[in-house]
Amino acid sequence: MNKIKYITSICFFLLFLTGMNAQQSTTIIMNGTIHVGNGEVIENGVLVMEQGKIVQVGKTLSSLYKTAKVIDAKGKHVYPGLIAMNNIMGLNEIDAVRATHDYNEDGSMNPNVRSMIAYNTDSKILPTALFNGVLFTQPIPLGGTISGSSSLMKTKGWNWDDAVMKADEGIHLNWPFVENNKPEEENRGEKGIAEINNFFAEAFQYSMQSKPIFNARLSAMTGIFSGEKNLYVHANDARSIVRAITFFKQKYPAIKLILVGAQEAYLVSDIIKSNNVQVVLGNIHRLPAHNADGIDQPYQTPGQLAKLGVTFALSQEGSWEVRNLAYLAGTAAAYGLNKEEALKAITLTPAKIMGVDQQIGSLEIGKDASIIISEGDLLDMKSSSIYMIFLNGETLDLKNEQVLLYEKYLKKYKID
Amino acid sequence: MNYKKAVLILFLFFQSLFGAIAQTGFPLNGPPDVRPNYIAISNVNIQVDPKTMIKGATILILNGIIELVGTNVLVPKEARIIDGRGKYLYPSFIDLYSNYGITIPSSLKPKGNQYSNNLKGAYAWNDAVRLNINAIDYFQYDDKRSKQYLSSGFGSTLSALQDGIFRGSAALVLTSKSQEQKLVIKAKAACEMSFNKGTSKQDYPSSAMGVVALVRQTYLDANWYNTQKVETNLSFENYNEIKSLPTVFEVENKLAVLRAGKIGKEFGISYLIKGNGDEYQRLNEIAALGMPLILPLNFPKVYEVEEPFDAMNVSLGDLKHWEMAPSNAGMVASKKIPFALTSSGCADANEFLKNLRKAVESGLKEEDALNALTIQPALWLQMDQKLGSIQKGKMANFFICNLPLFNQNATIEEHWVKGEQTVLKKVSDYSLEGNYQVALKSRPNSILSIIKKDNGLEAQIFGLDTMKVSVKEQAGLYQFSFKEEKKSDNQVRIDAWAIQLDSNSYLVKKLAGSATLPNGENEQFTASWVSVQTEKSKTDTSAKNLIGKVIYPFTEYGNETLPKPQNYLFKNATVWTNEKEGIIEEVDVAISNGKISAIGKGLSSENYIVVDAKGKQLTSGIIDEHSHIAIYRGVNECTQNNTAEVRIGDVINSDDINIYRQLSGGVIACQQLHGSCNPVGGQSSIIKLRWGQGPENMKIANADGFIKFALGENVKQSNWNTATGRYPQTRMGVEQVYYDAFIRAKAYEAAMKTNPKLTRRDLELDALVEILNKKRFISCHSYVQSEINMLMHVADSMGFKVNTFTHILEGYKVADKMKAHGVSASTFADWWAYKYEVIEAIPQNAVILNKMGVVTAINSDDAEMGRRLNQEAAKMIKYGKISEEDAWKMVTLNPAKMLHIDAQTGSIKVGKDADLVLWSANPLSIDAKVEMTLVDGTCYFSREQDLVKRSSNQKERERIIQKMLLAKQKGEKSEHKVSAPDPDYHCED
Repeated sequence: MNKIKYITSICFFLLFLTGMNAQQSTTIIMNGTIHVGNGEVIENGVLVMEQGKIVQVGKTLSSLYKTAKVIDAKGKHVYPGLIAMNNIMGLNEIDAVRATHDYNEDGSMNPNVRSMIAYNTDSKILPTALFNGVLFTQPIPLGGTISGSSSLMKTKGWNWDDAVMKADEGIHLNWPFVENNKPEEENRGEKGIAEINNFFAEAFQYSMQSKPIFNARLSAMTGIFSGEKNLYVHANDARSIVRAITFFKQKYPAIKLILVGAQEAYLVSDIIKSNNVQVVLGNIHRLPAHNADGIDQPYQTPGQLAKLGVTFALSQEGSWEVRNLAYLAGTAAAYGLNKEEALKAITLTPAKIMGVDQQIGSLEIGKDASIIISEGDLLDMKSSSIYMIFLNGETLDLKNEQVLLYEKYLKKYKID
Repeated sequence: MNYKKAVLILFLFFQSLFGAIAQTGFPLNGPPDVRPNYIAISNVNIQVDPKTMIKGATILILNGIIELVGTNVLVPKEARIIDGRGKYLYPSFIDLYSNYGITIPSSLKPKGNQYSNNLKGAYAWNDAVRLNINAIDYFQYDDKRSKQYLSSGFGSTLSALQDGIFRGSAALVLTSKSQEQKLVIKAKAACEMSFNKGTSKQDYPSSAMGVVALVRQTYLDANWYNTQKVETNLSFENYNEIKSLPTVFEVENKLAVLRAGKIGKEFGISYLIKGNGDEYQRLNEIAALGMPLILPLNFPKVYEVEEPFDAMNVSLGDLKHWEMAPSNAGMVASKKIPFALTSSGCADANEFLKNLRKAVESGLKEEDALNALTIQPALWLQMDQKLGSIQKGKMANFFICNLPLFNQNATIEEHWVKGEQTVLKKVSDYSLEGNYQVALKSRPNSILSIIKKDNGLEAQIFGLDTMKVSVKEQAGLYQFSFKEEKKSDNQVRIDAWAIQLDSNSYLVKKLAGSATLPNGENEQFTASWVSVQTEKSKTDTSAKNLIGKVIYPFTEYGNETLPKPQNYLFKNATVWTNEKEGIIEEVDVAISNGKISAIGKGLSSENYIVVDAKGKQLTSGIIDEHSHIAIYRGVNECTQNNTAEVRIGDVINSDDINIYRQLSGGVIACQQLHGSCNPVGGQSSIIKLRWGQGPENMKIANADGFIKFALGENVKQSNWNTATGRYPQTRMGVEQVYYDAFIRAKAYEAAMKTNPKLTRRDLELDALVEILNKKRFISCHSYVQSEINMLMHVADSMGFKVNTFTHILEGYKVADKMKAHGVSASTFADWWAYKYEVIEAIPQNAVILNKMGVVTAINSDDAEMGRRLNQEAAKMIKYGKISEEDAWKMVTLNPAKMLHIDAQTGSIKVGKDADLVLWSANPLSIDAKVEMTLVDGTCYFSREQDLVKRSSNQKERERIIQKMLLAKQKGEKSEHKVSAPDPDYHCED
């Protein structure tokens, strides 16, 4: 790749420094604007990675290196790899072709089905997301009441086994949506809640037994009640959100409840905040739910939630659409959210929600060197051209099939 | 009365009597019982016509016909006299929209989906075209509904078989009880039609625009039928008989009123348009149609809005409609639109009369209301010689009320139809009403107080204590019962009867009877009238019933007054000209009379509204080549593989909130495309987003006609769950559909030239001929290179050019061929992988096409993305490194070019339309927000105004909600309401 300027010999501007411990695998990114992911920005900063880990990050180098690859990121922006939650990349290749669908299992209570098993690292979609800086993804099962179990995966890997970042980190539940309070609708909702109540009671009982008769579905719920695994509750409207939180906090306070979708979270932020529920906000590039809503309500929601003190990640549902994740953060920033906070919502906050913030999510010492360098502001499509990507310290080839096709036809037409 | 007159009357009398016997023609079982139907009702207040009430008059009826009416009518001794007792007599109403007595015969009931019609025989090809129907063939007296109509005041109805688009003829019938032979006033009195295909299960038409197309084609076919000699069609034969009758056209909302009116004008027919009660929301446009209306009084119930989250399901338009619906008729009348009223949509007589009075309270003049129920419908049916008023020689159709009709407590007690009385409410001649001094040993000094209520008598007894009295009257026998003492469970029971009557006041002055006490003893009972009992008048504390204003459109973010063009001067803006000047900094742009009038530095601000645009960016507005917003009831007419006859322009929904939302994203115009489910779809409409204007004013005047074609998986129906059997199922078949269509079109064109009279005009082929003659242009939904090539070959061989390939995700593979063909490309920025045919879509597609010299645009196909097209254009910079100017043109000038509107819009140039957007930042950056969107120099969106509208919308909602809560507390019936959201259509819907 002609972009990457390797300096494999002794780096001339480090040469005069003495007492350094030289290592072959050291890579230094210099002069870039470093967006740490935790809200901080380091202008003209420097970041050092060794053996796949970040070893230094700051204004200046605190220790020195005899040999290192140096990347001059002057004028460029350095970010942690983006984490895409709440999507079906790798489980769905072509929307209209059923044979390529691996996200919706038959039945209503499926906590035992695991998304990582079907996660196809050879998906043609994954490289297009990677191309835009998405290094990690949380493929989630859909459908039914309990859809299944999700895992955190890398968007690049030889196979799912290698791509796992965190296996079976949470279970997904769809809270019964009640469209309005017509009696027949409310009855339908109550039936759904009764079904959930029953299942959780059985599962809880199961988890308390030392030698239960094996039941795959109930067994999969172990870990939920202790808060070891996340319980992702998908609910969008205000009433469902209130009902779901009330249900779980009253019955199972130890459950780590994550609210997913949460379009109307801004209407009921107190109950979310006071119960320390974290939120994975669904796609904000959507139309308002009601005609009476502000025309840009979905764009405003992240900024409003931040002001109300709710912790949230941003997510883009679907599969091929996930490559636009950064622009959701960009829109959120344009409509009232601090830009670094917007970045946090697709980096550090998702990492925290999934309990991997010791490894990924920000550019801090000791974390995996999973890094993006962008030509300009990553959250703005106009300038978000990715310059380089590192996954665990290794640079990735950004050429996906779309780029190859592009180049092929540029060549055909002899244009540049 | 002089002698001659008396003889004449006598003669007529016997003649009609004789006639009555001869007429029956039915075998009689026993001696006939034909009565001398000669009746006078005297001492009655007669509303002879809407303007005139004659007090204390007499009406003389002979055999169902009014003989005389007036204050000094000499009643011949042959006539039976009925004392009208100061009551009120009105001419019977006529209901022009009814299915009274008509049941759909099972032979007409449909039997599942079909490509061709179910009705076998020499009839029209479509099951929704029921021109062969004459409702009279199915008319039967209906006992239950007869009562309803008579109790509502209706003596006759125009009864139709209310099913289908063309519903054949309607019969004018009486609502009273008799042999059907005697109930028919006019067997074929009107034609009826609607936009609703009813129970027809035939696939075509599936969309609103398909219905309009079918209406047009049917009219053309009916005309052609009379010129040809090759076929017999019973539907058209019948139509020939009935077509000169007036036509009632039922529609579902105010925009459909305009739609029906438009069709009427095209074919020179003035319909009687039966609306749905929301006409006030588009009153000016409806008045301009100049077509009469039939209005229902179907006011919405109170909505259940107690729970705030749930109440969000109710739109502002629905809330306001609840408040304003009763004003509709009054507002229509104020515009001098001729109208009639119908009871259709009211659950029963009570609701109809209640709503009629509500309409009068809300501004409808009583005279106008009566006119709309009597004279007006009679005139339209050319029945004014027989019906509509109390006049000598007219049919004796009238009803009698205890009080003036518009009084809240008025009840229709009896209804006379053709001189025959139906008693609706049993009313005794003398009424027991007022305060009566009771003589009862066990209850000395008691007063019995009796009030007349709708549902009977209500009574109380005052004395030692106050007690509710249960009271009943049955044919002169009164029964009272009340508790012996307040705390007791024992009842005193009384039977009583009138012993003194007052023939002036029709009051029972004295009662006598016998009381049975709980201990088994009997006592004598008398009660003597002492005074009038006046009910405490319910004074409405909120004396002034304030109601909101009509907003345009009638939905959130509508305007109380329509915005007008202003002369603006944008000072010191960064201007993206899209012209050779490129992007210029710190420039002024002046607009006047809707056009860009000057561009330069330091322009004079005199007579301009100055907008400080320093640090801001001014661009021409975004144009979306591929949009499906603002389309009513169906974006696809999928039912046939070629539906060139359907037109989006017939079904523009100017109330779609997505118009406003697009404006907030800087969009000023769009092409409303038909969907993509058939190779030849419908004709598109090119509109400017003039938020608040009606459908016709949205259209860009004189814009070229366009049409949607489509290729690939959608037209093959590849992704449908089951094989449909509709041709084509392969890309091979798609090509054949086109060849067939254009070969037929050529033959048709030739036939039209050689034999215009005998050639059946075909709207589908007309559109294709327009394409061949470069008068209509194709925007073709397309994905893969094979099909793109195919259509260009078809076009070349048929002698026309494809104007635009839309979607065109593999355009980059055949960009050279497209350039050679001269076709434009309108594509997505980065959509792919949603179906098999887009797996090789790349986000650099637009860049390659652009670089190859193909005019290239980025479009939305999506109401949400439509308002972020600036961001979609910006992606081209990321993926293909093109210049900002080139990227910007992809959503402005380039789509203008492909829609042939670039002479008037698409760039900032003196003389062009002032279709401008002021942005807070570089419009291609994600930070950019629209501050103002101008269309033709009119500001239809500003961020400032938007905030004002948001808060005023909320206030208006809350005001009405409070009013509803109060109304519900007062006992009004309520219902749960979920407003239908504006549909979010895509190609494939």
